[in-house]
Amino acid sequence: MGADIRIVGSGGYVVHLDICEELSMECVGRAHRLYYAALRELSGLVDEVVLGVTSLALYYDPRRVRASELVTSIKRVWSWAREADLKELHRPRRFTVPVVYGDEYGPDLSSVAKWAGLSEKEVVRIHSSRVYTCITLGFTPGFIYLGEVDPRIAAPRLETPRVRIPRGSVGIAGRMTGVYGLESPGGWRLIGRTPLTMFDPRRSPPIPIAPGDEVLFKPVEPEEFSRLSGVFVGEYSP
Amino acid sequence: MSIAPRLQVVYVAGLATVQDLGRRGYRILGVPISGALDRLSAAYANALVGNPSSYAVVEVFGSVKLRPTVDAVVAVTGGYPRVFVGDVEVAPWTPFYCGAGSEVSVVPTGRGYAHYVAVSGGVLCEEVMGSVSTYVRGGFGCLGRALRPGDELGVRPVRADDLWEGVRNARPPWEVVARSADPGDPVVLRVTEGIHSHLLGDLSTLLTSEYTVTPESDRMGYRLDGPALAAASRLGRLPSTPTDRGYVQVPPDGKPIVLMADAQTTGGYAVALHVVQPDTDILAQLRPGRRVRFRLVSLEEAEELTSKYLAELENPALAVAEEEYWT
Repeated sequence: MGADIRIVGSGGYVVHLDICEELSMECVGRAHRLYYAALRELSGLVDEVVLGVTSLALYYDPRRVRASELVTSIKRVWSWAREADLKELHRPRRFTVPVVYGDEYGPDLSSVAKWAGLSEKEVVRIHSSRVYTCITLGFTPGFIYLGEVDPRIAAPRLETPRVRIPRGSVGIAGRMTGVYGLESPGGWRLIGRTPLTMFDPRRSPPIPIAPGDEVLFKPVEPEEFSRLSGVFVGEYSP
Repeated sequence: MSIAPRLQVVYVAGLATVQDLGRRGYRILGVPISGALDRLSAAYANALVGNPSSYAVVEVFGSVKLRPTVDAVVAVTGGYPRVFVGDVEVAPWTPFYCGAGSEVSVVPTGRGYAHYVAVSGGVLCEEVMGSVSTYVRGGFGCLGRALRPGDELGVRPVRADDLWEGVRNARPPWEVVARSADPGDPVVLRVTEGIHSHLLGDLSTLLTSEYTVTPESDRMGYRLDGPALAAASRLGRLPSTPTDRGYVQVPPDGKPIVLMADAQTTGGYAVALHVVQPDTDILAQLRPGRRVRFRLVSLEEAEELTSKYLAELENPALAVAEEEYWT
């Protein structure tokens, strides 16, 4: 098992797990198994479980449990979770996200097309023709990391990040695509923007999309943007 | 008929926000923990006015003038600022009685950086995801922005007269005050190895050099200047991992950034070290120009330090005043 995942303690209250070193959906699936199994089995021992792209962090109270003991429990959970059927740990929901591509909504669509050697229309078709898995959420509230992007349009992130990206912007960074839940700085190439409200801090939960859920992008015309503006992602039906 | 008690914001120079001990359980949605940068000082400010540790306080980097509309017991902690009620100077880290309509002023002295003002009953304002902590970048928690003159915050109604007798002689242990008011220079921050130390290899540059807090430091992170960790430039960007307060990230330029309460929940820079929780509070009090060193401790030692810290946060240990502290 040691050669399998890397487990390391940090700071006296974090156990960090690296599932693998490089992004692959196979690795993400393993991380999701461990994430949902840990939520189910270890909630009495840990305060919070947070998922990275290929890693997890378990936050614990050292007055209640020590890292050495927690690691033993993690290994026990992993021994069955690694073979478990992910759908039994988390039944994925599917969300459709309407997107206006290009122009002011996606200022980097042209650079992605240029990088890919394809037309903008072709990039849009490729981007919106597969069902993505939510890898995790993070860095800013409601940002969803999705995978895996077709290698033909997997343009790298920008050399210089933007200081301000409007909420709802849809970006590409290599084999991942994502949606900015709130206005934030960021370095992903922006190819479009959804009019939906992806993150609403006053709702519970503020965003209904969870790791392992499916997201499908649906190209819509700019005229649709104002009509759909402010519709909550959990309440949109295509 | 009674009018709901308020805390009026009269004047702000710098950054003043409402904070409690933070927002828990939403990092999986990308929501940072926020909360007081120096949590222990916030907890003690509350304890000194008879509040539970978790009540909301005003955090201020700079100066602030606040006016309760009812009689209140007030305490100011974090560093060692000058504090006035009207024109009368009072001591920080000591509860004082503030009559309705009197103005409480906090003026920085150079000792410490993040100051905390607690009012008996605690500040009341919009709670989002279980916390009133203001996350300015996200625009939520309390007012969703920094405090401005003219703002009015709610206060839980309490009987200040009754309360005052119980807390008037309460004082924190001197070590707690000294921790944020007068840490020696350079300040030694205890660390464990970070989650990517195996990729970075030799950490001796970080562990043997002195670093200076830079002006580019804020509630997201304190950026340090000093010798660069060369290994960071060849690592570049990693798949984003969960991050936390106290993580010492090293971007490709090799200059460490210590993440603070408003930091992003996941990050793609290598994490070399992890500052233990009580020492992240101490770092919060270091203004730009102050110097730090890192000292490695074992994970077991870090667990002991964290345990003691969490217990103290929940139950700040107050003593009874015997003589005045130095001012």
